[in-house]
Amino acid sequence: MEASEKYDLVIVGTGVSGLAAAIYAGRYKLKVAAIGGEFGGATATAGVIWNYPGAKGVDGYELAKTMRKQAEDVGSEIIDEKVEAVTKGGHCFLIETKKRKVLASTVILAMGTKRRHLNLPNEKELTGKGVHYCVTCDGPLYGGKDVAIIGGGDASVKGAVLAAQYVNKIYLITMDPEFNAEPINMDSLRNLGDKVEIITDTLVKEIVGTDKLEEIKITKNKTAERVLDVDAMFVEIGSIPDNAVASALNLKLDDEGYIEVDNNMATNVAGVFASGDTVNFFGDFKQCITAAAMGSVAATSAYNYSKTRGDLCSLHKKPAS
Amino acid sequence: MDKKIRIYSTPSCSYCRMAKDFFEDNNISYEDVDVASDEEAREELVKKTGKMEVPVIDIDGELMIGFDEEKLRELTGVQS
Repeated sequence: MEASEKYDLVIVGTGVSGLAAAIYAGRYKLKVAAIGGEFGGATATAGVIWNYPGAKGVDGYELAKTMRKQAEDVGSEIIDEKVEAVTKGGHCFLIETKKRKVLASTVILAMGTKRRHLNLPNEKELTGKGVHYCVTCDGPLYGGKDVAIIGGGDASVKGAVLAAQYVNKIYLITMDPEFNAEPINMDSLRNLGDKVEIITDTLVKEIVGTDKLEEIKITKNKTAERVLDVDAMFVEIGSIPDNAVASALNLKLDDEGYIEVDNNMATNVAGVFASGDTVNFFGDFKQCITAAAMGSVAATSAYNYSKTRGDLCSLHKKPAS
Repeated sequence: MDKKIRIYSTPSCSYCRMAKDFFEDNNISYEDVDVASDEEAREELVKKTGKMEVPVIDIDGELMIGFDEEKLRELTGVQS
């Protein structure tokens, strides 16, 4: 398959960071495509977002749709396909999905992260059969039931508040001595009263069930053990970088596998920039606003870089016919 | 398109909304079943798939769990 199109910039990922980059790059009048298989990224499944300035109490998916429209209005293409590979030839890049190959002078990697799993036996087998990774998606399926939510951050606390509209009882379990969530979310959690049992310093030790989840065994401080009879367990324990594409490009990664970037979102490979949750620029503080900001910086850097390059390299340039 | 399409969804599920947006953007009629409020439909969902996950899209009996736009285009015959 020959490359079907040539862009000044291809953005890998259509979450908030990629979409923000697409908005800025479109306004810079670059020929841009943002390509990704999971439109909206983590934001799309975040439920209602209260802390994105200018968007008061907006659903994450709707926020992503607004960004998409903004990007498309300035001429950026948004392509809903998973990027399978990015390879470098000369100083250009070949980006491949299952359906197309395109060339670009510059690339921004904004692939986000993947959900972290507990990596316990039986977890994979019972996925969808009581073990879930998205409270906003599957929480409402357990009306009147007892569920466990695992995790100590905003995702699990917000998940508990959402699930409380439907379920009978929530066991909210964290391995840490306290939760690391916004105080305003913790207030909402406390307002649920006895509906939520908060369990700290506790790990899930065993996932029990054959055709569906029957119970989980938890252990506090690695001593006391307890069995919870639950119909569902939602795992909201954070994420890990999605760095397969980055590794293939020989990008420098930090100790945790996130792409290393400078203050301009530039990686160690000329013409490759990275932004959003796939970098660790702000450490654990991964928010829509930081992702969008990094996307805008990456787009600006890509624009400045493209002015020094402009056209395809000799490897990809076709002679005028 | 003459295929009978039924989507099992919940109100807060964003992948469900992506699927419904896809149908609406491509003028495809579908039936939306809210399994958060309809217990019978929930049981039907588990019976069909063995799982408790949404969205589940039934296109003339062929089931798709989750939202995969490329596969949905294939099943509905909608070109990109």
